[in-house]
Amino acid sequence: QNLKCVTHNLHKMICTWDVSSRGRHGQTDFCYTTNDLPPPVCFKTKETRVEIPVPESSSTVTITRINTSGTAFATKEFEIHKKDISFVPVTPHILSLTPDFSTSTLNLKWSDNGSIFPYGLDALWQIQILRKEAMEEVTQVTYYSKLTHEDVILSWNWTSDMPLECTSHYVKIRCYINATQFVGLKDWSDWSPVGVVPGKDTEPSGSGVFPLDTVVAVGSDVTFCCVHEEDQRVTNMTYGSKSYAMIPLSSRSHAIRVLNASASDTSGTNVVCTLENWMDGTVVFVGYAPDAPQNLSCETSNFLILRCTWKPGRPSGLYGKRRTKYSLFERLSGKNVSCEVSEMNRDHVCSFPVLPDQKTYDFILGVSNPIGQAESSLLVDITQRVHPKTPEKLTVSWNNSTSVQLRWFINGSFAEIRLLCQIEVSSGHSEKKLHNVSMPGGKFSTYTAQLNALHTYTKYQFRVRCSAADHFWRWSDWSRVVEQTTSEAS
Amino acid sequence: MAAADSPSAALRRRDLCSRGIRLAGKMRADVVDLLDAYVERQGLDASASVAAVEGVPPAAVERWDEQTGTQRLLENLAAYRAFRALLAQMLEEQREQLGDADAALGRALAAVLLQVSAFAYHLEELLRLESRGIPGEEGAGPPPPPRLSLFEQKLRGLGVLRELAQWAVRSARDLRQLAKPSPAAGSAPGLAESP
Repeated sequence: QNLKCVTHNLHKMICTWDVSSRGRHGQTDFCYTTNDLPPPVCFKTKETRVEIPVPESSSTVTITRINTSGTAFATKEFEIHKKDISFVPVTPHILSLTPDFSTSTLNLKWSDNGSIFPYGLDALWQIQILRKEAMEEVTQVTYYSKLTHEDVILSWNWTSDMPLECTSHYVKIRCYINATQFVGLKDWSDWSPVGVVPGKDTEPSGSGVFPLDTVVAVGSDVTFCCVHEEDQRVTNMTYGSKSYAMIPLSSRSHAIRVLNASASDTSGTNVVCTLENWMDGTVVFVGYAPDAPQNLSCETSNFLILRCTWKPGRPSGLYGKRRTKYSLFERLSGKNVSCEVSEMNRDHVCSFPVLPDQKTYDFILGVSNPIGQAESSLLVDITQRVHPKTPEKLTVSWNNSTSVQLRWFINGSFAEIRLLCQIEVSSGHSEKKLHNVSMPGGKFSTYTAQLNALHTYTKYQFRVRCSAADHFWRWSDWSRVVEQTTSEAS
Repeated sequence: MAAADSPSAALRRRDLCSRGIRLAGKMRADVVDLLDAYVERQGLDASASVAAVEGVPPAAVERWDEQTGTQRLLENLAAYRAFRALLAQMLEEQREQLGDADAALGRALAAVLLQVSAFAYHLEELLRLESRGIPGEEGAGPPPPPRLSLFEQKLRGLGVLRELAQWAVRSARDLRQLAKPSPAAGSAPGLAESP
């Protein structure tokens, strides 16, 4: 009775049947015909199950029971229609279950056994995560894939809401194949054997508070756990100065759940586990991901170094080796520079060497800390971002009683541009006058200019500043003032 | 038995002892202040019990009265050399973990480290005065610290500062003991003879 046929691969099916207690000791003559295979195929078996091909539409099966003396004593014929056959995919097997403790992430790999199925079938995979000694279900996820008539290794990541060290995590998987052409009953496979990532609470010397010295974003919900020895009792678990209700995970592990964590002090927030005669703890740093740098600007004062500045945005609240780090990448040359920026320093500056024969710079300022990263970009033509240094060694010499020659030096190499310099002349109570002079830039050069039509026997104050002539960007600072009195009329 | 002191050596020792006592007193006050700041800045519980810090001889000593002067100096020197290494380690960890975010605590730590170094040198001076060989430093200091978690580092720092505060008290007592004139012939005790 109860002939049932199940296929695991749509090609072969396993048929099983029941035998009355009277006929249990003999054997069976099993014959089957399928409508596309006229002569029946017969064979003898002692089992009550056989594997035969899945018919195109139906199969006729004749089961004859033969007693130990060889005489047939019971025979029954069955008509198996395709719709009566169940399709239960092969039980999947976990190839690997790899923990990444630093991110509390499990990576699961398994084969989809696609080679035994026609191309293009949709497969659903149910993945179940269990935890604690009692193997409580944490989550069940459905993963979709398409079979390609090849065995493909599928990979899936899951990030736990608690450190993997806290207690053992278990994973099992089953699959359902949507064989649309198959008219019989389709069902889920059996669950795979369980994959396990043992927690520290299973290790002899696994005690500690976890996660160990981690960094999380402000507003995160974080689970901390205290793994201890079997005979120890946790009396209190605090986050910062506040005690939290403890969640038992196993006989050697207790957890607390901190919601919406606020920014920590510079030295981090202590998570302390107090036991009867011992104390253990960890430190968590709660901060912000970096903002994208604002107002990124780069200029050169000497055509040797580009000096980039920016506004960092909200402080990350992370310091030392967890601080926000900056790097300047120039796309055209492929050159990358890491910037030394102190988190306590208000102004953020980074220097990049001016490259030979390169006028245009395509910068990406990358910023990252353990919580996140961001970037800003800037395309700049260096000749349009010249901010010369302060003119030095200004000297004033008389050509005659109404004309002077000024000389000054500018530290830098401006051979690629013309300079525009402004000379401010003031004397006594008269109004200050500005004289603009333009000249070819030089390499660490001294520059000269002549002023005429001055008054005789008059005390003048001179100072000078310069900028790029063609693409004005910023004036240099004023030079120091030089005072000189014109001679008497000759 | 050490040869009887010349008056100038005795005077020099008493001077070194009294200066040492003042240095120990100042150091203690600074360590106590640093301890308060450390507890607060590291978010610790001031009453937290901390295991003995590996590599630091405890300040408490049995039969303190029976120690010779040289024993006192040698034990003090060993302790302050250990503190010098431990404080330098703490300073290094502080910079690594916080950069210049908590510069005040870093400066206070560096200041105490300076005082500990000065006090160690002072002890060496006293030993030299007694023409005692100064024990070499190689291998004398605490073993390289195991890789500690941040919380363990914080607790160790707490333990170091607490022990240092105790040692400052003991050092002052030791130096007072050394400074006492010997009951016999009015000459100050050779180090080997004190108490």
